[in-house]
Amino acid sequence: MTLLLDWQGVLTGQPLQWIISGFLTTLWVTVAGILLATILAVLFLGLRTGGGRVGYVVVAAWVSLFRNTPLLVQLLFWYFAAWNLLPLTFRDFINADHPGAILPGNVWWLTPEFICSAWGLAVFTSAFLIEEIESGLRAVANGQREAAVAQGFSTWRLFRLILLPQGLANAWQPIVGQYLNLMKLSSLASGIGFAELTYQVRQIESYNAHALEAFAVGTVLYLLTGVIAGAILVRLGPKHARTATKKRMA
Amino acid sequence: MLSAFFSQSAAGSADFSRLENASVEFRDVVKAFGDQRVLNGINLTINPGEVVAILGPSGSGKSTLIRLINQLESLSEGDILIDNKSTRQLSGRALRQLRSRVGFVFQQFNLYAHLNAVQNISLALEAVHGWNKAAAHTRALELLNQVGLSDKAQHMPSQLSGGQQQRVAIARALASSPQIILFDEPTSALDPEMIGEVLYVMKTLAHSGITMIVVTHEMQFAREIADRVVFIDGGEICEIAPPATFFTRPAHPRARRFLQKVLDPLHQERPA
Repeated sequence: MTLLLDWQGVLTGQPLQWIISGFLTTLWVTVAGILLATILAVLFLGLRTGGGRVGYVVVAAWVSLFRNTPLLVQLLFWYFAAWNLLPLTFRDFINADHPGAILPGNVWWLTPEFICSAWGLAVFTSAFLIEEIESGLRAVANGQREAAVAQGFSTWRLFRLILLPQGLANAWQPIVGQYLNLMKLSSLASGIGFAELTYQVRQIESYNAHALEAFAVGTVLYLLTGVIAGAILVRLGPKHARTATKKRMA
Repeated sequence: MLSAFFSQSAAGSADFSRLENASVEFRDVVKAFGDQRVLNGINLTINPGEVVAILGPSGSGKSTLIRLINQLESLSEGDILIDNKSTRQLSGRALRQLRSRVGFVFQQFNLYAHLNAVQNISLALEAVHGWNKAAAHTRALELLNQVGLSDKAQHMPSQLSGGQQQRVAIARALASSPQIILFDEPTSALDPEMIGEVLYVMKTLAHSGITMIVVTHEMQFAREIADRVVFIDGGEICEIAPPATFFTRPAHPRARRFLQKVLDPLHQERPA
């Protein structure tokens, strides 16, 4: 039996439109998820640092809940359960037409699918980011903290201006790893009907049975995104992290 | 001129934004870590503008003594008066204000590793003292010039020698024009050939009106620059004397033993 590959069935016409749309959707939900995850992680770290006993317990609960349950289950929960608990006026607002609802590349972000996917991915990833940034923070020499305390920095400014930049630099490689995980895990959002790359690739398969070609194209797109995004993120990382790495290699 | 530095003045009874009298007074100060008492009933008054060298063997409590002044360590008992005002009950904003007005120079420099030399100096001016960026930058460059490092403004701490790092750290401690500056063994982590440049900067500060409290092993600094020497051993002050007296006629037996070991390490009694 010979393997006949028909790339025309995937890279032209409607299937191509689906792939492009799915790919752009994956990119946008990844960007939104990364931003949201980072904001959540920083807020929770602040809560753990300055929130006393209650803050500590809240953050511990958040981390263990979202790190120890499957992401697919979390996405199903946000989409099928939590979404319906939101006020009706809010849901109507999301479902209505809005001028700013379409991102470049014709990706709709004011939809329950996009919002639940970005939120679910962000919450899941934040649980990992919290612990990884925390390790980076713990690696900051105690003298740095003392110097800032001796200069009269408030707890928040000490965190924001001294600990966070150095902690992020220490933890930058694992953080990039989590961002790339988020990109790949966005494929699970096809499970709640979110029309990202994996969803569209499967749609091609049921449309013209070009499963092998469609999945091959999808895989290559994920791979390229990962490689390129990884390289860019490492370059964009804190300068301190790069010089520190170079010094260690020298 | 100083008044320009205080754009924000903290409310509260203990206002340390400007000291009338940059004095430091220890009253029956006790510091214990768990069961271990490292300072045991310290009474000491340091006058405004005075340069005091604190000497003593390792583990005698010297560093703890000055770390109590800006509360890097908390008091166990007693009180420390700065500008004749109690500091024991200070917390929150008032404590931060006191700290922002007392310079501290660490043995390990502790320059902010992610910032270059000029940013190390200007950061607190902006973030703590509310200066605008341009004014803080100008002031930082002036201070770098004062410690002889104008050409290293853009260098990261890792690109500077130990002596240069410590000079930047001194400039950083001077940024807020403190009236009191504390040195915790500022030359102990330096290679011998770099000690001189740091001591030179300290010498230029001495007797310029700023109160200097210096924990040190540099006997020459203590002898030539300090107004008084405080000798501590076992958590207690054994002797307070002008350097001329202390180095020629130490009164306390432990001070005599210490000086003999430090000044003449080759010819001492055989260890038992």
